[in-house]
Amino acid sequence: MIRLTQLRKMFGERVAVDALDLHVPRGEIFGLLGHNGAGKSTTIGMLLGQVWPTAGELRVCGHDVTRDRAQALAKVGAIFETPVFYDYLSGWRNLEILAGYTAPTPPARIREVVAWVGLTGREQSKVRTYSHGMRARLALAQALLPGPELLILDEPTNGLDPEGIHEMRETIRRLHAELGLTILLSSHLLSEVEQLCGRIAVLNQGRKVFDGTLDEARHGQSWVRLKTNDFAAAVRELRAAGLITADRDGEFIALTPDGAVADVVRRLVGLGFPVHEIAPEKQTLEDFYLSLMRRPEGESAK
Amino acid sequence: MFFTQLKHELWKLFGKKRTYIGFGVFLLAPNAVVLMFRFSNAANGIRRTLEGGGYPVADFITAETIATQVVIPVAYLLLPLYVALVGGDLVAKETEDGTLRMILARPVSRLRLLTLKWLAGLIFSLMLSVCLGAFGLAFASLWFPQGGLFAVQVELGGSGGFSVLAPSDGLWSYALAHVLLASKAISVMSLAFLFSCFNMKPAAATILALSVLFANAILMSIPWFADYKGWFITHHLNLWQWVFLQPTPWTRIVESLCLLVGYNVTFFVVGAAAFQVRDIKS
Repeated sequence: MIRLTQLRKMFGERVAVDALDLHVPRGEIFGLLGHNGAGKSTTIGMLLGQVWPTAGELRVCGHDVTRDRAQALAKVGAIFETPVFYDYLSGWRNLEILAGYTAPTPPARIREVVAWVGLTGREQSKVRTYSHGMRARLALAQALLPGPELLILDEPTNGLDPEGIHEMRETIRRLHAELGLTILLSSHLLSEVEQLCGRIAVLNQGRKVFDGTLDEARHGQSWVRLKTNDFAAAVRELRAAGLITADRDGEFIALTPDGAVADVVRRLVGLGFPVHEIAPEKQTLEDFYLSLMRRPEGESAK
Repeated sequence: MFFTQLKHELWKLFGKKRTYIGFGVFLLAPNAVVLMFRFSNAANGIRRTLEGGGYPVADFITAETIATQVVIPVAYLLLPLYVALVGGDLVAKETEDGTLRMILARPVSRLRLLTLKWLAGLIFSLMLSVCLGAFGLAFASLWFPQGGLFAVQVELGGSGGFSVLAPSDGLWSYALAHVLLASKAISVMSLAFLFSCFNMKPAAATILALSVLFANAILMSIPWFADYKGWFITHHLNLWQWVFLQPTPWTRIVESLCLLVGYNVTFFVVGAAAFQVRDIKS
């Protein structure tokens, strides 16, 4: 559904996105993670033909966005952080206007979508009277009007209260389950991505540092908590024995792919290190994300 | 599809209160000036000029004459302001508000979007010019009789005389002048639209457009530039007043009209080129 090849964007001398390869298969909820300024919104801007890439290729729904934008975006809906509308017009009129840029939209279709997002009864009110949650629903309605196959959501829960965030999350699930949409979700809310997405890509300073499933993210590197008298000395010995690949925070070690906790314990006890505690650490997405952010520039997890 | 999208652009434009500022002022200002002519000695200058030329004053202190006197300063100062305000808003306000990103998430081309917006601006400019003429004449007709038209001649080679037109010619010239006034309004709107296509605030686009006009007008008023006035857009923007000249310089009017069309095309093409290569970001 989306295929980016060696995508690069520079703003003057600053590299916003660098050598980005990304593939989002049809029917997936794909999470695009990264801190503010990591290049998520620039990537989405390029996907929608709003930002011109400096180099690389973008294909959406099989069409090159740069050369054939109209075809590429014909079946695409998008929601941006803090959705904005023509506040002085009614919700209905906003939908008519925005949908009109894609294709003629009969009133029955607008009514159907308004009902789907739960705005029936308020569609004729001016948007300036809408709450934040209602604006989010209207944003969803405008994105759904062209009957999209791909939905691009750029920080869709920004500014929503917890109830609104929950509602948006449930809506995204419904969109995926009921309408079978492919969804690209850009967010820096790890819990949101963790609950919704099957696959993720993580951007850091414009570069992709991870691309894989959530399970791969959680188990990509298993950390083991180790408490002993002299952690630094123990780590030296374990490295020398080829049992661990990394350590962090003075209490975690990362085992080699074929390493086992029992081998570590046997080695340490054999060398006279008392082992007060040793237990595999269950890695959350947050742990994984933070570990990616701490990595030296240019090093990626996958 | 194109006309539906144009209708939508007009909904957006005419849904905003600020779009009506010009219409509101054009309702009030001509009224105030007409009342001043009616209840003060403001018409004495015209009266003296007519008497000096041997014309019957009663035939020319008319609704057409007063409406023309009202419209000239308004068209010179206020009309450019309101059309520049709308022209400067057309693209830059949508960029500033963020609605442009919503639109450009759709499969509409930037060129088509700009064409729609420019056409909406053109319709607004045309309506504002026609309303200015209609309001001026309507209010003047409340206090003055219909009849001939007296108009002070604007320079076209340095003359500063006046014209008197018979009743049938007067009304026709007045109507034609306001159709041509639309060319001025559209050109100023297009100039502001050009700046609006660049990455700048709407107010900056409006101010830049007005600055260009004022700078043109100032340079044109310097005697050294008298021989070069044809190079200034402000010279051609006055073509609507040349309709009142006797004999009417049709060739010059058509020539200036063609030049204004050229200016408009240039403004649009340069604006569209700048807009096309821009990155639209939040």
